[in-house]
Amino acid sequence: MSDQYDVTFIEQDERSAKFLVRGITPAFANGIRRAMIADVPTLSVDTVRVIENSSVMFDEQIALRLGLIPLTTPDDYRPEETVTLAIDVEGPATAYSGDLVSSDAKVQPAEEHVPIIDLKEGQRLELEADAELGYGKDHAKHQGGVAVGYRHLQRVELGDERGEFAEDDPEIIRGVIEDAGASETSRAAGDGGELVETASFDNDLGNRYPDRNVSVEDVPNAFVFDVETDGSMSVDDLVLSAVESLRTRADELEDAVQL
Amino acid sequence: MDLRVIENLETELSIEVQGEDHTFMNVLKGALLEVDGVTTATYDMNPEQSGGQTDPVVTLKTDGSIDPLDALEAGAAGVKTKADAFAESFESAA
Amino acid sequence: MSYKCSRCKRDVELDEYGGVRCPYCGHRVLLKERSRDIKEVNVN
Repeated sequence: MSDQYDVTFIEQDERSAKFLVRGITPAFANGIRRAMIADVPTLSVDTVRVIENSSVMFDEQIALRLGLIPLTTPDDYRPEETVTLAIDVEGPATAYSGDLVSSDAKVQPAEEHVPIIDLKEGQRLELEADAELGYGKDHAKHQGGVAVGYRHLQRVELGDERGEFAEDDPEIIRGVIEDAGASETSRAAGDGGELVETASFDNDLGNRYPDRNVSVEDVPNAFVFDVETDGSMSVDDLVLSAVESLRTRADELEDAVQL
Repeated sequence: MDLRVIENLETELSIEVQGEDHTFMNVLKGALLEVDGVTTATYDMNPEQSGGQTDPVVTLKTDGSIDPLDALEAGAAGVKTKADAFAESFESAA
Repeated sequence: MSYKCSRCKRDVELDEYGGVRCPYCGHRVLLKERSRDIKEVNVN
């Protein structure tokens, strides 16, 4: 049943991607979306040992900021493993996430330029932080997927010529369209047509087809996912881990029912 | 995953799935509805503040051609099939 | 208990007899220093 789904990438980067999935039910699409946000574990600072903190902020505030720094999460980590990160910065300077020194070369701050705190002359921040695996549903610092969502793919059909004196109201749509009017051949064949991001024509169909009437319809069971990660893992890893987490639960349920 | 059977009749089954939330239950419900012989499938979940039943309870009815427990098993298998198919399609496209 | 005199900035050890007063300059405002212990904080 490998032809059940049809995945097409529209944009693809390490940390963000946009892809179209055809043949997916809304329930399954939403399951994957929710799993990406809440059920894919990432490493994040969980315990902090403060050796010296003469900055203007409380230890707890610094600890919260450390927790929110995304850490690259290799996929071979087990829930009980910890990584220790140390930082020692003396003012006048700003302590950045890049100043953290990790005990595991594979676990590093995903972003080097996250400011932790500005230190003035004579202030110093020295501490050790233990990072643990955790789930997005327990704390937002463990969310691997930030800005994860999907939209229906929309199909645009061209209608008749617009009247010369017709109101030229904007026809605002957002997302990705399947442009049946793009080429006569695809129109005749009745197949999908070109995939176009609405941002390319300023989200206004009136710009793309100034003097045609258009009709827009959601394509059933076709969703365009927009996924952005916090840098702790690649989009591919995030999506596949989310699907894997659903699969694992289905497997557990199957086993439990069989008993 | 711990299950607690609430009701198990000839054509009807109510079962509590401990520790799960909408993420999995709605996918499961969707898959159950695609199982042959299942006429009704739904789940109910209450918020923490309700003070009562907070674990999801999945309820399904069949037309008698399939045992409800087998239908639940088939539903779980359906989710696995979907997950495998999706992962495969995604990997080949990525 | 170690304190720091807020006027002469010197470290002051207080005992139970001397009262609250800096033995070096007589100033009565003393600041409590942060303990040098390592403090463990949970992120939540």
